[in-house]
Amino acid sequence: MTTLTLGFLFIGLLVVLVLAGMQIAYALLAVAFTGIWVIRDNLGLAFRMLELTAYSGIADYLFATIPLFVLMGLLVSVSNVGRDTFEVAEELLRRLICGLGVATVAANTVFAAVTGVSIASAAVFTRVAVPEMKRHGYRAAFSAGTVAGSSVLGMLIPPSLLLIIYGVLAEVSIGGMFIAGIVPGLMLAGGFVAMLMTITVLFPRFVLTDPKASRERRLDRTREPMPLSTMVAKLVPIVVLVVLVLGGLYTGYFTPTEAGGVGAFGALLVALARRSLNRRKLWQVMKQTGVISVSILLLLIAASFYSRMLSIAGLPNAIADLVAQSGFGPYGFLLLYTIIILLMGMILDSTSILLIMVPIAAPIALGMGFDLSHFGIVTVLAVEIGLLTPPFGLSVFTVHSTLDDPDVSIEQVFSATMPFIAVMLVVLVLVALFPLTATLFL
Amino acid sequence: MSANTTGEGAGTPDEDAYVPPFSEAPVGAILGGLAAILSSIGTAWIGALMLLIIADVVGRNFLDAPITGVSEIAARSVVAIVFLQVAAAILQRRLTRADFVLRRLEGASPRTLALFETVFALAGAVIFALVLWASYPKLADAWRTAEFFGVQGVFTIPTWPFRLITVVGSGLAALAALYVANDEIRKLRRAS
Amino acid sequence: QETITVNIGSSHPENNIWVYAMKNTFQPEVDRILAESGEYAIDWMESYGGTLYKFTDTREAVMDGIVDVGMVGTVWEGANMPLQNVTYFTPFATEDHRVIIEIFDDLSENLPELKDSWAENGMVHLSSLITDSYDIYATFPVTSLADLQNRKLNAPGTSANWLQETGATPVDGALTTYYTNIQTGVTEGTLSFASGILPTRVYEVAPELTRVGIGSMYFGGIAANMDFFEGLPAPVQDAFRQAAQATSIAHGDYVADLAARALDEMQAAGLTIHELPEEEKAAWVNGLPDIVEPWLEQTGDEGRVVLKAYFDALRERGIEPRRAWDEGL
Ligand code: NA
Ligand code: NA
Repeated sequence: MTTLTLGFLFIGLLVVLVLAGMQIAYALLAVAFTGIWVIRDNLGLAFRMLELTAYSGIADYLFATIPLFVLMGLLVSVSNVGRDTFEVAEELLRRLICGLGVATVAANTVFAAVTGVSIASAAVFTRVAVPEMKRHGYRAAFSAGTVAGSSVLGMLIPPSLLLIIYGVLAEVSIGGMFIAGIVPGLMLAGGFVAMLMTITVLFPRFVLTDPKASRERRLDRTREPMPLSTMVAKLVPIVVLVVLVLGGLYTGYFTPTEAGGVGAFGALLVALARRSLNRRKLWQVMKQTGVISVSILLLLIAASFYSRMLSIAGLPNAIADLVAQSGFGPYGFLLLYTIIILLMGMILDSTSILLIMVPIAAPIALGMGFDLSHFGIVTVLAVEIGLLTPPFGLSVFTVHSTLDDPDVSIEQVFSATMPFIAVMLVVLVLVALFPLTATLFL
Repeated sequence: MSANTTGEGAGTPDEDAYVPPFSEAPVGAILGGLAAILSSIGTAWIGALMLLIIADVVGRNFLDAPITGVSEIAARSVVAIVFLQVAAAILQRRLTRADFVLRRLEGASPRTLALFETVFALAGAVIFALVLWASYPKLADAWRTAEFFGVQGVFTIPTWPFRLITVVGSGLAALAALYVANDEIRKLRRAS
Repeated sequence: QETITVNIGSSHPENNIWVYAMKNTFQPEVDRILAESGEYAIDWMESYGGTLYKFTDTREAVMDGIVDVGMVGTVWEGANMPLQNVTYFTPFATEDHRVIIEIFDDLSENLPELKDSWAENGMVHLSSLITDSYDIYATFPVTSLADLQNRKLNAPGTSANWLQETGATPVDGALTTYYTNIQTGVTEGTLSFASGILPTRVYEVAPELTRVGIGSMYFGGIAANMDFFEGLPAPVQDAFRQAAQATSIAHGDYVADLAARALDEMQAAGLTIHELPEEEKAAWVNGLPDIVEPWLEQTGDEGRVVLKAYFDALRERGIEPRRAWDEGL
């Protein structure tokens, strides 16, 4: 049996264990350890690689931003900045079809400008938007799917951990990547809105438990509109945060990696200013930050160990050969590349996919005449779809576990995100075909 | 992962529910207590990391006095934070998983469910024991050779405390997973 | 014919200056030499580009046998292999990177202190890796040391030492962050070398190069795992040694070509080159505090021997370092 065949067998084993419900980190670590042992026929090597990965697999400033972005998300949530943003969006979009869904997307788009990881958006808006949508006759699973789907905006609209990692791997300007992400991010938000409205008209039962009540609410003219002053007051904190984070980035006060720390501190100040924190509550928020972060970071350690096993099995080289020898033109290459990423997205986390694929593909892409910023946005879009695809979809996991509603199963959330995946694929194709969408402001 | 992952749920009384009273389950109480202590250190560390970054940004921009080594310290901190908190996460059963098969089993065959859970928890215990086993020699080396990170004459920080956290954290995680396994075995007995 | 499997790898991609000659000279040279007798052949298992381990782990990867042959960046091993970092603590020695390769190929094999240091870490040194000369790439030209006052420059790790007493503030970073740092104003320039600056396009945002002559640095080596190497048949060991010599030459040529091409291309793209006046260079290096002192304290007698051997070797080749860091040893 070739090592590559073994590699594929171990991918199969991982999928089985994950589907059976094993803790994903355990499954990744166990399969990778066995894999290295078997493929190299060397138990000692498996031990040494395990130690190396545990000690330094995620020892990187980039990963230190994850708990900080999560902390910022929770502080924004506890000080009700997320809720206020959502309420203003809701008020402005009340008369739209699927107004609350659209409001979720809109609030996520604004929130994306301060957070760098999608997990933070997913956790915040599960708490803020899902109860409100349920209350107004939206299906719980659809609401959860909407939150999961729109959370991917957090990683495309700057600041973004994935764009930082891509920039580092492909040696392109991270500031440039951030700018390149803006238009595709807005396209994605616009696409989500159009999709939500279309689906609500065509398949109201997919969206609503009680379409009639929702319609009545939408057309209700008796409701008191929110005064402009209230609206402004509710928006000030999020605007302050956006200005602090993006302004600080583009005037050179801090680097993209430092944005997580500054953003978290800014959110802390906002929370203190709004008197929504006492010492005890702050400690609770920090503890939750720890719990959410550790589950993500442990996954990243495990995934990095697993991708090293795949590397020992020769997978990256096999992919490189496949890509190089395919003999396709630039667009054939891009198609093959995105398909590989989409497949990997089903079983691997975003960072590992970037780590495996970007060093292989970026030089080829450059040789084929692609602009590396454009190529990076295509890559990150494809990688982000993996946040929503089963069996390993981190955003869906986050929404599902944050919601903790026995009536909403994880399969229902996965299926409710399918329309979002469709929109992402459309945007992916558009961005791939029209590089200007990414390079317009570069 | 489980509920209460956002601020709105903050302050709910079940935060430390994974630590049982000593009179009922002494082993669980000690294990849970230790995990809670380590986890608190990890929690405080995240706050300290934020303040360190702020201090560096302010120092560099307004005082011409950046803090050297922030990126290395932050890098090592992430790993420390993970291993300080992982035991508590295991006891709280908050590690990410896809549970749709398990949920089906819950109604259909609680016995099979407990069996699955036992196997998974034991796997976790073995995995963290492997990490402990693999990491311990490097801790000894780091102590013996006074290994550091940073640059001689600029800043140096010893690595042994970080390696110690990996060793202690994975050891406690293995025990925590064993404790969960024991819990599941008890359920298995009750179900049969 | 016997086929031997060799796992070869690196934390950096194949087009990186320290990896390029491994893939493009070392491997084909070994193959070529072994093909002459036809007794042995190598089956290369390549893991370039950090898919197996990160740059912080290059020593452990070779030492632990994760790869049999690898690029080892001793620059990142200040705790475990401090002796190899002598050049970083003795700046302004020479700008000729080929001389550094030649000296360290010799010393790593013939100076017991250095050879043993590789052996203690379970490795056999095959071929030296270096950087071309460090200079200042910035948004401003440096005509005198006064121009450095209150400037923020990217100078990570040991290079932070070189800015002591210059009035400039060293800011952490890496080749991959310089562009963004300078573009957004986090820093105003960087201490770096041409072959590293070209691929990261830092010259676009830092179009003023001032040659200050901090010099070429020993970066690390291509090394083999010791158990693996000693288990090889003698003819294969010989082939590795010969190929390593060719690799050293190819590495020197590649860096020279790349640096020259980099300067041409960067100038075509608008880079202006300035030369810091001689007396300013002297003022800089002599104004530095005794930065080699902490290193000597750490490395003790062995450090003294290595520093002396390195500086003697420079002088034997007619190079007088701008500051006699070995004075009084
Ligand atoms: Na974002
Ligand atoms: Na997925």
